[in-house]
Amino acid sequence: MEICRITENKRDYMDMLLLADPQEDMIERYLDEGEMFELSENGDVLTVCVVVRMKNRSCELKNIATAEAYQGRGYGKYMIRYICEHYSGSCDTMYVGTGNSEGTLAFYKKCGFINSHIVEDFFVKNYKKPIFEEGKQLTDMIYLKKQLDLEIDVKKVADLALEAGRILLKNGGEIFRVEETMKRICRRFHIEQVDVFTMSHAIFISAQSESGEDYCKVKHVPLSASHLGIVAEVNDLSREISAGHVGVEEAFAKLEIIDRIPPKKGAFQVLAAGTGSGVFAMLLGSSVPESIVSFGIGCLIYVWVLIAKKGKLSKIIVNIVGGVIMTLLAILAMHIPGLKMLRLEGMIIGAIMPLIPGVAFVNAIRDISDSDFLSGTVRMIDALLVFVYIAIGVGVTLAAYNNLIGGLAV
Amino acid sequence: MIRELVINVFAPFVGTVAYVILFNVPRRYYISCGITGTVGWLVYQFTLTAVSASTASFFAALAAVFLSRMLTVRMKCPITIFLLAGIIPLVPGAGIYYTAYYLVTNQLAAAGQRGLESVKVAFGIVLGIAFVVSIPREVFQIHYWRGRKRRKRLKDINQM
Repeated sequence: MEICRITENKRDYMDMLLLADPQEDMIERYLDEGEMFELSENGDVLTVCVVVRMKNRSCELKNIATAEAYQGRGYGKYMIRYICEHYSGSCDTMYVGTGNSEGTLAFYKKCGFINSHIVEDFFVKNYKKPIFEEGKQLTDMIYLKKQLDLEIDVKKVADLALEAGRILLKNGGEIFRVEETMKRICRRFHIEQVDVFTMSHAIFISAQSESGEDYCKVKHVPLSASHLGIVAEVNDLSREISAGHVGVEEAFAKLEIIDRIPPKKGAFQVLAAGTGSGVFAMLLGSSVPESIVSFGIGCLIYVWVLIAKKGKLSKIIVNIVGGVIMTLLAILAMHIPGLKMLRLEGMIIGAIMPLIPGVAFVNAIRDISDSDFLSGTVRMIDALLVFVYIAIGVGVTLAAYNNLIGGLAV
Repeated sequence: MIRELVINVFAPFVGTVAYVILFNVPRRYYISCGITGTVGWLVYQFTLTAVSASTASFFAALAAVFLSRMLTVRMKCPITIFLLAGIIPLVPGAGIYYTAYYLVTNQLAAAGQRGLESVKVAFGIVLGIAFVVSIPREVFQIHYWRGRKRRKRLKDINQM
């Protein structure tokens, strides 16, 4: 379900507008100057409305109509809540005029409108045909009004967007996703003037309220381990926010919970790393015993990765030592008597898998294909260096081994 | 025959799922991740009979990313999850090892050849991803096609 503003071809919606206002030339009077919104779901238009801005920070809801098949399901109410929020920054009062029919009046009162004034014989004078609703002829136009309190605080919304962006970036979201999510959140809360600039390590946001108040903030986001589960959760939340199901406070609370989602259990990850190593070794042409050794090495490598993560060691050390460990273990396995047929490379090509920086690599490509070369190259270098570190680790160990044993055939 | 089937279908599936677990992908995406990885690998193996490794990985990435985008729209989740799954069986892990090995054993010519080959494969993957990612998002949404029909109809009505 989404609401968007219509600026072109407003007359395509005439059928629906006629549901609320039966005479076409009356609609023509306000259609061009009015601002039109449509609520659609899966490409079907469910509700449309037209609002006209007037003097003294007030506006009038001229027309609101829901397709007949969807009436009575709360779409109209949802639309009114949306436009109330939308105009709360620029207007103080919203008026709506309607005939004297109880159903309609009850609907507006439920939405928070109160009686304002009456224009006598409006329908008799302006409409060619008499209009009947609920068995009565409509004569007077009854105006209702609603005070639009400023419901949206720019700072709060920008902070919310920034927090969502920070969590996304930290856990391996692409730059494009971070920016789009932040803009989407701001737009949902009617902050149209917003600019976001995201790099691989930082987010800048500047937002302007309709009263001209500026708000700007910078957030540093250090590189850390990817948690795609959190990225998926924030993505779902942003969908809910833009569909209007979640308010600002609630969104903050949800983000806090999402931010604390723990990674998968250590033992599970170690096992997964081992399985990945063993299976990929087999895929790349290693024999079954080699793959089994590869499984063991993969497990141990990941134990090392987890320890290093806890100790907050730098990537250089983690990957070089990782390379050394896997080569040492592979050499060791080769020297176990009775396992002479093992090939070194057969074991190592599988064991490399858990160290490969998949998310950084994928994100780098995505950023570059979105023409964001700054973040793309930074992340690509981040990914490529990991390969270099592993190669250094493997290479140094092999060299030392060859020298020690005197160039024994590997 | 059975051994080949196990190696080419079962192994990439399990391997891909195991790998995405390391990046904390939620459980509900495991199967689709596994399928993406398997499809990428099968296309790679199939095209490898006709073309070079780098071209094969280009086509494999193309297929995997295309599938990823369809899955993303269907399952409403970030595409990174499936991209990761799709490329992981294609990443030239062995190439890196051999490059390092030849460098250390001072076989520079072989090291250069292996290294360049790995870079070429990586470029194949990059191009494959970049190609499909550049297709506008709307194309992958069902109501784009439905909506297009509707818009066309409206246009026809207006012209009449």
